[in-house]
Amino acid sequence: MEIFPALLSVVTDPVLLLAILLAAVVGMIVGATPGLTASAAIAMLLPITFYMPPLFALAFLYVIGKSGRYGGSIAAILFNTPGTAASAATQLDGYPLARLGKAGKAMKVATISSIIGDFMGDIMLVIGVGFIAALALKLGPPETFAIYFAAFVVIGSVIGKSILKGLASALIGILVAMVGLDPISGEERYTFGSFELSNGIGLVPLMIGVFVLGEVFAQFEERRKTANPTEDDTREVESNKSFDDGNSLTWQEYKPCLPHALRGGLIGAGIGVLPGLGSAIAAFISYGEGKRRAKNPEQWGKGALEGVAAPEAANNAVSGPSMAPLLTLGIPGSTIGAILLGVFLIHGIQVGPTLFLTDKELVYKLFACGIFGIAAYGLIGYFGATQVARLILKIPTQVLYPLIFLTTFVAAYSARGSLFDVTVMTFAGFGGWLMRKYDFNVAAFVISFVLAKGAEETFRQSMLMSDGGALIFIERPIALAFLLVGLAAMAFRIRGIMKDRKLASGGLEDA
Amino acid sequence: MRAILEGIVLAVLSIAALWGAWQVPSASTGETWAGIVPFGAALGLLIISGLKLACVRRPATERAADSPIADDASLQVIGLFLLAVIYQQSLQWFGYLLPTALVAPVALYAFGVRSWIGLALSAVLCPLIFHIVFFELLGVFPPFGEVFDLLDAIRE
Repeated sequence: MEIFPALLSVVTDPVLLLAILLAAVVGMIVGATPGLTASAAIAMLLPITFYMPPLFALAFLYVIGKSGRYGGSIAAILFNTPGTAASAATQLDGYPLARLGKAGKAMKVATISSIIGDFMGDIMLVIGVGFIAALALKLGPPETFAIYFAAFVVIGSVIGKSILKGLASALIGILVAMVGLDPISGEERYTFGSFELSNGIGLVPLMIGVFVLGEVFAQFEERRKTANPTEDDTREVESNKSFDDGNSLTWQEYKPCLPHALRGGLIGAGIGVLPGLGSAIAAFISYGEGKRRAKNPEQWGKGALEGVAAPEAANNAVSGPSMAPLLTLGIPGSTIGAILLGVFLIHGIQVGPTLFLTDKELVYKLFACGIFGIAAYGLIGYFGATQVARLILKIPTQVLYPLIFLTTFVAAYSARGSLFDVTVMTFAGFGGWLMRKYDFNVAAFVISFVLAKGAEETFRQSMLMSDGGALIFIERPIALAFLLVGLAAMAFRIRGIMKDRKLASGGLEDA
Repeated sequence: MRAILEGIVLAVLSIAALWGAWQVPSASTGETWAGIVPFGAALGLLIISGLKLACVRRPATERAADSPIADDASLQVIGLFLLAVIYQQSLQWFGYLLPTALVAPVALYAFGVRSWIGLALSAVLCPLIFHIVFFELLGVFPPFGEVFDLLDAIRE
């Protein structure tokens, strides 16, 4: 078990522990601040990690992602505004509990359940990742391409409201990734004679633009839509002082929540392995399943502690297993995974099955950092969530967003010292805002951008193996199975949408 | 209307991408064509835009309920985007300090800060703090202004 020496190594490195602690605090604050996401924070901090050793960089950003997922529950419970999409399920019972004067209890249930879920996910990751990597080593280019294809289809069709827009976002991501010199033949593609474009579009400026500047534009639009843009948002928590009250949580109170947290952990871990599905789906499935099995379903939605435990455990359990496809196949399962892939590449580490041969120690140390990260945000959250909430209330958003706006430019420039990257970031930001505004899928766009090069390489290798015949993907059973998985996922999604449309007697447009 | 526009924009994008992929020279013997993946992706996008336009055929009453394409807030976002474009361009002409000193108060004002002291302070503190963090502590080489560089002038 490689994890034990890794845990020992991390615990004896005080600087690394301090970085994990700092990441836990940053992630929690970012996750709890409505409008800010862990993805945005990670994208913005990405250039700073260029100057850190690889383990520090990866651990810092990985723990921010974990802690950010948990931080979303603070905003959901106390501000009635989910800090992340996944914490919208926590809000259903979390905020009614806060209104009943039980915000402290709700926060503690959220914290304990998050820790349970996250630990379950990480244990599954540690146990399972080696097996997946060993299997992945046996896959040839056709099988790997089929996995990429399934990932594109699943990510494009399952996330978001519209399948067509999701798939279009994924295809646009692929097209943007094709800009530059072809890595095999050296031919120029979509460069329009520009020297800068021949180097391709950088991952870091694209991510900073889409996730951070795009979010700033979206927040700016939100603020302009309100009657008085100069008035800072007076969140409902101002009048809700209940997080001071009822802080203690007894074992008798948490005992009925435990089965929901354990079930949520299993649901989240299972969903986490599948690329693209993410925390929000896991949280809502866990909430629905928990309510179905609950002894008090009538209480759910009105302020049931179990209604906080179920989605929170699932939401956080996604974190660990979502790293499995990234580390073993090079396929990021989430936007945070896509950014972490960028960190690996920036530090010259090739992600994929061979990672477990070349950098096994680093991978297990990263897992160990994740486990310490859970402990860090758990402790801070259990004893200090209300202080974090107070801090967030003091952040003046009319100052915060302009500062983030300015930071994006210097962060994009710092990545490679290139002003062209700043241009890319600016236009990517506008594109990201447009995609959000018109319900296109930003996550599918970015993940596809990251996957495109690998998919192209394996596709062309397969074509060479088969002398240009596409039948190779059908003749090889594993490849065929993955192609069918992708198509089946899309078919299920279309069926689900059609069913909903039938119920609502709506049109076909959103399918 | 909005759905039609989205379909048309996707169609235009995909046709441009198809044309771009078609410009890639054909492969030499034993190699695969470098334009095959962009061409496939562009073709996929064209099919999606076609499906999108085909799905729009709905009753006029339903179409009327579509949200507007652009509202006042959207136009203001476009204004902020233009500020971003001017800022990134002026970094090339005037280096980091001067454009940041000018853009920081404008951005703060746009987001609702109305304190003149705060805005004035931001013009000094923002370039100073960002410069110290990124260009001094992290050691990134600052962009040099082709027309005029305040940092250069200060150093001289």
